[in-house]
Amino acid sequence: MSRVVYDGAPIEYAQGDSLAVAALRSGQHPARGGTLCLAGDCGNCVAIVDGTPWVRTCQTTARAGTVVKRHPNGSHPSPGGPEQHARVAVRHRSADHVVIGSGDSGMAAATAARAAGDDVLVLDAGDGNEVIGVFDGPTIVVRTADGVHQIHAHHITLATGAAELHPVVPGNTLAGLYTAKAAAAVRVAGIDLGRTVTVGAELVAIRGEGTVSSVELADGTTHECDSVIIELGSAPRDVLARMAPMVPVTVVGPAAAAHALPPCPKEGVLCPCGKITVEDLDGVWAKGFQELELVKRSSLVGVGTCQGGMCMPHLRAFVADRSGTIPEPFTARPAARQLTLGEAAAGYHIDTFRRSPLHQEHLALGATLDKFGGWFRPWNYGDAVAEYWAVREAVSLGDVSTLGKMIVSGPDVVEALERLYPNHVHDIKVGRSRYVLILNERGHILDDGMILRDAEDRFTLTFTSGGASTAEMWVRDWIETWGLRVHVLDRTVSHGAINVTGPLAAELMRRAGVSDDDRPKFLQHRRAEVAGIPCHIMRLSFTGETSFELHHQIDGSVALWSELMELGRPLGIKPHGLQALFGLRTEKGHIIVGQDTELDSSPRRVNMDWAVKLDKPWFVGREALLRTATLPDERRLFGFTMDGPAPYEGSVIRVRGEVVGHVTSSWDSPLFGKAVLMGWQKRLPHADVVEIDGREAHVSTVPFYDPEGARARN
Amino acid sequence: MNEFVETLLDLPWQVGDPKPAYDVVIIGAGGHGLATAYYLATRHGITNVCVLDANYIGSGNSGRNTTIIRSNYGIPESVAFYQHSLEMYQQLEAETGSWIMHSTKGQIWLAHSVSTARTERTRALMNEACGAKTDYIGPDEIKRLCPQIDLTGGGRYPVQGASYHHEGATARHDRVVWTYAQGALRNGVHVFQHTPVTGLLKDGDRVTGVQTPKGNISAGVVLSAVGGHVSTVAGWAGVRLPIRTHALQAFVTNAYAQEFAPIVSSNDLVFYISQTPRGQMLIGAEYDRQASYRTSTSYSYLQACSAKATTLFPFLSKLRILRSWAGICDVSTDFSPILGHTGVDGLMISTGWGTWGFKAIPAAGEQLAELIATGTPPPLIAPFGLDRFSKEAAMADPSSAGTR
Repeated sequence: MSRVVYDGAPIEYAQGDSLAVAALRSGQHPARGGTLCLAGDCGNCVAIVDGTPWVRTCQTTARAGTVVKRHPNGSHPSPGGPEQHARVAVRHRSADHVVIGSGDSGMAAATAARAAGDDVLVLDAGDGNEVIGVFDGPTIVVRTADGVHQIHAHHITLATGAAELHPVVPGNTLAGLYTAKAAAAVRVAGIDLGRTVTVGAELVAIRGEGTVSSVELADGTTHECDSVIIELGSAPRDVLARMAPMVPVTVVGPAAAAHALPPCPKEGVLCPCGKITVEDLDGVWAKGFQELELVKRSSLVGVGTCQGGMCMPHLRAFVADRSGTIPEPFTARPAARQLTLGEAAAGYHIDTFRRSPLHQEHLALGATLDKFGGWFRPWNYGDAVAEYWAVREAVSLGDVSTLGKMIVSGPDVVEALERLYPNHVHDIKVGRSRYVLILNERGHILDDGMILRDAEDRFTLTFTSGGASTAEMWVRDWIETWGLRVHVLDRTVSHGAINVTGPLAAELMRRAGVSDDDRPKFLQHRRAEVAGIPCHIMRLSFTGETSFELHHQIDGSVALWSELMELGRPLGIKPHGLQALFGLRTEKGHIIVGQDTELDSSPRRVNMDWAVKLDKPWFVGREALLRTATLPDERRLFGFTMDGPAPYEGSVIRVRGEVVGHVTSSWDSPLFGKAVLMGWQKRLPHADVVEIDGREAHVSTVPFYDPEGARARN
Repeated sequence: MNEFVETLLDLPWQVGDPKPAYDVVIIGAGGHGLATAYYLATRHGITNVCVLDANYIGSGNSGRNTTIIRSNYGIPESVAFYQHSLEMYQQLEAETGSWIMHSTKGQIWLAHSVSTARTERTRALMNEACGAKTDYIGPDEIKRLCPQIDLTGGGRYPVQGASYHHEGATARHDRVVWTYAQGALRNGVHVFQHTPVTGLLKDGDRVTGVQTPKGNISAGVVLSAVGGHVSTVAGWAGVRLPIRTHALQAFVTNAYAQEFAPIVSSNDLVFYISQTPRGQMLIGAEYDRQASYRTSTSYSYLQACSAKATTLFPFLSKLRILRSWAGICDVSTDFSPILGHTGVDGLMISTGWGTWGFKAIPAAGEQLAELIATGTPPPLIAPFGLDRFSKEAAMADPSSAGTR
């Protein structure tokens, strides 16, 4: 015989014993008392097994060295401290027909299904397959010794039989009480139950100190005993059939048979998991909680480990007695058997953050990476201010591979884009580009980006990094809705992009082999090799300086970046991260959708009516804009300047003490020697002087920097 | 009798069927409907009130939420409204003598990136300016408040900081419903369970009452405090609502010793966790993407929540899932409630409670009662009228829902 440790003492078990049977073999109740079913129905044998509380010991096979501890008396087990994740395997399986329960009715159903040519899988808790739930799909989730199985089935037959009733009488929490089947199993295991008494509905009370010593029967007789064998009938185990109302489950055998309710209980613990007594139920009933659900919610009967499995028949009998109507059982919910969060988490992948093709380059350059819009992006390379000056005074590289990128083409492409965007599209010449907003049907800003015309019937579109996935669905959905002949090719992850920006950007392009003729002018774009890498060169500017966005296939990203860094060295090149970029663009007053805009920001609110052409016949959001154009609107995004240090983004903006909005962007401008900000005023009249962070701030026109845009055009 | 049972107050049900007419008929005997009735009776002496429910009291979302009370919203109007509600919750036991198991726990709303740290700092600054006690705190303070957290976030979600909402609290949802039911009944309000409203009575354009299987009931004012099928009720009066209804799932584990003090939410991972007074760990996350009135739960939800929760709290991986459930959330397009006049005389509404209805029960009930009594929306709820959507004055506050 091998041994397990039970509550600090080694006990011997026989091969095949469950932990509960091993405890009984050593003369102990596996928990602290209560009727044992040894069938996984009740919660009377739960204990802490190898550190996991609430384990049904009757469903857990004893293995050498297993450590079992009882739950603390009168309180709950500790949830424990930080621990490593246990690795749990997940298997997906499928079958035409899953039969749950391998008793007579289950095997008959399996045989019949096999005869009909079905691929049949039989699951039984006794074989180590604990079904924790039936879900839509249908999917059956099963806990096994080697992990969690998700089984996809066409048909489900429930043949789980019936659970033996526990007695509800005084003394029913003592040790030494067994259902008839449990008693038989204990005897088969070779355990002596001592003097036994077999009782049914005639049982009135059980007496004893810790362990049963006698029973009292309805005829007034008392019988001394060591163990009580309970024969009170049974109730169907049908929770799995009621768990997923949309999933058809065929119930067979005793699980489907009509079972009479037991007599209404008079005294004793009715809900063994919660130790809720008949007196408690009488208490709530007298207070006006007079239907099954209200009795349950007010007394907390039936919400413990067995989820009503043991108390339901008695509870229904109680409500039927008091109300005169037999109530339906309360809703069955997963989990029928409890799996751990570790088991449930197994095989699930939390959304990954994407890595730019230049990820390793950034790390090598000492970048601090942060998560933005679903990507890892460089926040800075150690000194955001130095990166800022490289852009303003020399040349810098920014990794903008995360931008949404798309090619749209086809005979209806102009029509599609005219409908998708509030700006004009048809008059963009080949080789030219335009900044655009994307609006939703409510006229609120969804995203922004560029439209670049490659040919009469072909355009390149860009979107924000965070908005790219939504925009991709948006464009496809609308084009499909309209039935237009447009081919959509998303290149967000197949193409990288490097922004070469700064007053020396043109010089760097020259050194990278781009001739003056090949170098596009502002808002132009063309395709040319840069340092030997084929690029789509776009002249636009977010930083306010001359900028070339180099879009290319990702297999060239590292070579292009490295070569430009090398060629730029004599020019004082530095890469810049998002921290510097956000400051640079704040100086230019360029908004970031989602940071400077809100869920319901119309172009008017962010002073971008210039990007909307209401004279177009139709575009998404036009009706909404026409409707709201004449309505008063208190909310406006403003630029502000104030003395440094720059207040936190999110600081409230007050006018005469009243909160009117908050700061959306804030930057200590090294160039201006003061803070430049954007933020909301949402109360009329809008003030010229506001209070931010207890200090005065002044409304300013934007851009703060180079309002004529001469530097970007240069 | 156990303490939980002993401390319940009586529900003094009236006998018989509804009267043919009341001053006010409220559809829906959940927290909102019953609280409104309670405040009509106790604050305004309006007791000729009838509350009807298709099922039992609190059978809808009032009994299916995750019981969190907080006021850490993103716009001044919301902070003021929810802070008032939070303070009313703090006083509710003293006012009614009913134990709602109110417990101030504090809520930590975690940020794992620069951009979400900005969101949480913005929340803290806005809260502080508008009367809610919220600070931005760093990882050390987070660890002190919640020692079970893995600050590295499993290596993938390192904790950068959090907004800490000092007065975040929980209360037992059912007991809040019963407290208001008891108070309303004691003051003469009629409450009828299992009495579904099947239509509205109209006189011209005016709503004059409700139809039920127990007969027509006329009313000076009908208030819809329905959760879930509010679009149907509004539709009877020809009112279109900017509402989509989604299921929100949640689950609890078995009960454990009280060792987890605060409420913790994660902005990046989108889930939240607290320990109930009974010791269960209660975990929720975002509502289902698919609009639906169904309340069934999915395994993929259990998987996602478990994966997220164990990423930050490895100790949870050995805890056992006991029961999952779902409520159905009426989500407005701006993620704020819709309260008061509907544009149809005689019909008022309390909806758009999305995933944030429980915390608003006292304030919404009190304010709607004042509106019904006086005919004028009080300042706290005036910004939340249905007409805001036609006025270009929506109350957009998506980042405060705690879900998306």
